Amino acid sequence: MSAPVAPLTARQTPAIALARVSKTYAGGVRALDDVSLSVRRGTFLAVMGPSGSGKSTLMHCAAGLDSPTTGSIRIDGHEIAGLNETRRTELRRERVGFVFQAYNLIPSLSIEDNITLPLRLAGRRPDADWLGTLVERVGLADRLSHRPAELSGGQQQRAAVVRALAARPAVVFADEPTGALDLRSAHQVLDLLRALVDDLGQTVVMVTHDPAAAAQAHRTLVMADGCVVDALDAPTAPELADRLVALAER
Amino acid sequence: MFPLAVRMAAHRITALLAVACAVLGGATLITATGVLAESGLRSHLPPGRLAGADVVVAADQEFHPSGDLPIALPERAPVPARLTDRLAGLPGVTAAVGAVDFPAALVAAHGRVVPAGDDPGTAGHGWSSTKLLAAPHIEGRAPAGSGEIAVDTATAAAAGIEAGDRVEVVADGRPAKPYRVSAVVGTPGAGVFFADATAVRLAGRGGDGPRAGTVDLIGLKTAPGAAGRVTEAVRERVAGTGLKVVTGGERGNAVSPGVGAARSLLVLLSGSLAGIVLLITGFVTAGALGVAVAGQRRDLALMRAVGATPRQIRRLAAAQSSVVAGVALVPGVALGYLLAGRFHDVLAHRGVLPTELPLTIGPLPALATLVLTAASVQLSARAASWRTSRMPATEAVAESRSEPRTPSRARTRTGLLLFVAASTMSVVPLFSRTVVGASATSLAGIVGAIGLALAGPALIKALGSAAARRTRTGVSAPTWLAMANLRAYAQRNAGIVSPLAMAVVFVLTYTFAQTTVMAATSHDTDTGTLAPYRLTAPALGGLPEGTLTAVRNTPGVRAAAPVTTTTAVWQYEQFGEPDTESASAMILTPDATDVLDLGVRDGGLDGLTGATVAVSSDAARTRGAGTGSRVHLVLGDGTPVVARVVAVYSRGLGFGPIVLSRDLAAGHTTTDLAQSVLARTDGTADAGHRLAALATAHPGLTLTTTRAAPGGSDTPPEVWINLVVIVVLLAYLLLSIANKLVAATAQRRTELAALRLGGTTPRQIRSMMRREAAVIAAAALAGGLLLSALPLALLGQGFLGRPWPAGPVWLLPAAALTVMVTAFLTVELPTRRALRMPPAEVIRVH
Repeated sequence: MSAPVAPLTARQTPAIALARVSKTYAGGVRALDDVSLSVRRGTFLAVMGPSGSGKSTLMHCAAGLDSPTTGSIRIDGHEIAGLNETRRTELRRERVGFVFQAYNLIPSLSIEDNITLPLRLAGRRPDADWLGTLVERVGLADRLSHRPAELSGGQQQRAAVVRALAARPAVVFADEPTGALDLRSAHQVLDLLRALVDDLGQTVVMVTHDPAAAAQAHRTLVMADGCVVDALDAPTAPELADRLVALAER
Repeated sequence: MFPLAVRMAAHRITALLAVACAVLGGATLITATGVLAESGLRSHLPPGRLAGADVVVAADQEFHPSGDLPIALPERAPVPARLTDRLAGLPGVTAAVGAVDFPAALVAAHGRVVPAGDDPGTAGHGWSSTKLLAAPHIEGRAPAGSGEIAVDTATAAAAGIEAGDRVEVVADGRPAKPYRVSAVVGTPGAGVFFADATAVRLAGRGGDGPRAGTVDLIGLKTAPGAAGRVTEAVRERVAGTGLKVVTGGERGNAVSPGVGAARSLLVLLSGSLAGIVLLITGFVTAGALGVAVAGQRRDLALMRAVGATPRQIRRLAAAQSSVVAGVALVPGVALGYLLAGRFHDVLAHRGVLPTELPLTIGPLPALATLVLTAASVQLSARAASWRTSRMPATEAVAESRSEPRTPSRARTRTGLLLFVAASTMSVVPLFSRTVVGASATSLAGIVGAIGLALAGPALIKALGSAAARRTRTGVSAPTWLAMANLRAYAQRNAGIVSPLAMAVVFVLTYTFAQTTVMAATSHDTDTGTLAPYRLTAPALGGLPEGTLTAVRNTPGVRAAAPVTTTTAVWQYEQFGEPDTESASAMILTPDATDVLDLGVRDGGLDGLTGATVAVSSDAARTRGAGTGSRVHLVLGDGTPVVARVVAVYSRGLGFGPIVLSRDLAAGHTTTDLAQSVLARTDGTADAGHRLAALATAHPGLTLTTTRAAPGGSDTPPEVWINLVVIVVLLAYLLLSIANKLVAATAQRRTELAALRLGGTTPRQIRSMMRREAAVIAAAALAGGLLLSALPLALLGQGFLGRPWPAGPVWLLPAAALTVMVTAFLTVELPTRRALRMPPAEVIRVH
């Protein structure tokens, strides 16, 4: 096993590139307002902001879960704006991994089945070595035949991380991945995400409102009212907390 | 994908059990219907007294309308007698017998009539017909001259005679005459054998009668191994004459066209069953799948989030359902074959089917069931998962926690359209006072119920909103919760209300349509039959000649007329398309006016001479057959005729759509004997006594009253069939409803647990669930009653002249009670089970 080494040209393509993206929901709510950004490969990006700032919408659009109203979104160089639901799903499962706040493991399937589910859906053969390494790394090797309900929250979230990585995606999105976890489990998951970036060159985008979590990232975007209002490189948790409080008081 | 579907299925046992039951029952019903249909088309009577014939040549006892199933013709069509000798000359033929059959019965000591054979109407044969029996064991010698007969062993035993005895015989309605028994034939039920020349004379095939120079069929015996060659040669010889050459199992159909025609009843029956069975099984299966897929919506949405395409979601739902359906299909089909057997027994026991007619057990019904079930399961599962599969993944996950917010508009609109269609259909009985017209009533009910299933969510939502508004303040928490749930889970509740309503609609419309038609029919025949007495002679195969004169000469008898029933196929044009109807037709003479009042509107029955008919006003109106017009008919023996309409009558429901003049039908029935004589007296008891004395004096005559016996002992067989169908289908409906309710309640565990965590006591939850069950039952009853009301009111108006149907009053409270009990039990039991688990654990697991 080795870190994925992409050719030079691909390396220069950003993992995610948004250009002038807006999203308006039915009823006129403008959740994203002319947002442009790009995420370099092998980096850990955190997106912060108060509730309703548009950070979840940004993630859903950037990940191809939802389509923008206007603007262009490229995942790993592929434009997704204007694709239909099926084409977007196919692109997503090829190039995007997901970690949700509520784990979202399918209760009726074993951990192993859950981990390989995206591959099965894509009709691809699981890479046993790769999965073995991942499972070993997150400490779930002896839990594969268990059902999600038999695992702790931290274990479930780690299984969800493995599922997200199973297809070797270009980018992993994590939506409040520590929101439902205790401090110790949350730390384990954050360390794991950071290690994926540092050791395997994985790209991770994480939405969170926990400054301590965001402090693990290389770079943090702060959102408010559907716009990116700030970008901080390698911030510390207190800096971020101050910034958020300032936003809230504005 | 497939193993995944199976693994996920294992976790939805309750919901999938409902699907399995729906498929099991559906497969049983479809297979059983299929077996009946196939038997109607392909089953053969045993060859009986033709078992010894290798090749049989007989007329085609079927009428073949273009583009439709053949219609059985019950009256024997003759074959030219001279053909017998020609066929006898073919190489390989060892014997050729032109068989003639005619009514015959023995009169044993004390005037006791012993019917010979299975059908007294065709019990008399010529001696040469014994060659067609399979290896008969004959004791005695062939009857010779006009004074000797041979009888089969069963008849001989019943009459207590043996070879050498003398016995009186009524042959073809002639006065009883003594014969010497020259032989006993060892084939039970074969009948009475006369010397060939005597048989020809008795059967009216000599001289210049309408059937002179004909035989009923020709049986050939062939040299060993020559059967195939002879069959070919005979086929070539009779080509173009319309005659049929039959061998093997098909010979059974040539034995007795009258009995064989009963076979076509199976086709009619399964045809009328197929519609309702397919509608109901499709509805039940789709409903069960709807619940199963709804319970899985969250899983499906999660799969969307991790990369399943909409199509994969639908495929997964379909695959999962197909696995379950496949498991249930096998026992279902097996049960279907058993059910068909039971049904056949019931019909045979009721005398609707000849007992000797076997069922055809082939793979076709199973195959048809497989295809129909697979198609409906795939379609329903894909439709049920359509909405979840098409949603953006994020919304799917969010929505899967509760129900889709708004019921789809197209769905509601389709439902409302079906209501309109149902209302339109229910108008039919106003214009068509026929059994077919009445069947529109139950169909209208069922279509309305399907409309309710579609428009249900929107209606229930509206109902729940209204109820929730009214109960916002001042009611107990459980009631308030129940109303809120009614609105919030409109789709789930509609899924339960609509099948319950369907059960109510089905039972009410189907039963009341039957009873109303029955009441209207017997009202027609009761008021239309002026004569209080009917004379028949079933054991003799028809009334002996001279009976009519004897009745007329009885003091106190004002009028008497013969009445016979046959079958006629009416060819007409409707909406510019050629169409055919096979109907039972009475054969009457002009003097029928004195004993029957058909409610003549135009013309008169006194014109019923020559090639003339009278038709019912319904038929006259829809087929443009007013007085003076000409109608194209095919008589019971297959002879096409053109007849002039001389009268139009209104009591078509009781007396059938067409009446033939005796002149027209003469020579076209198996026997020319009248089946009954209706007699009208001066009303005195004396006249009645004299008629009774007349019947006793003539062996075989039976005197009955035409007034329907109270208590409905003469319930027609169709009613029995329909009752059986109602019971079977209702059991299926109720079972599937119960299953569905149990599954739906079991799926609410998380919701109930959340309520408990929020401080609701188990008692409050039970009370809430009971209130929900009560509302569901009430809604189902109200819906069912509303949907049945219009069709039944119009049916009553059309058939009885009053806006309500005829039938048992207890049906309504019984239906209400059944609905209540079903709803209560199937909600209460799973609720109790759900409450047994600690709520925190439920939340953790789900």
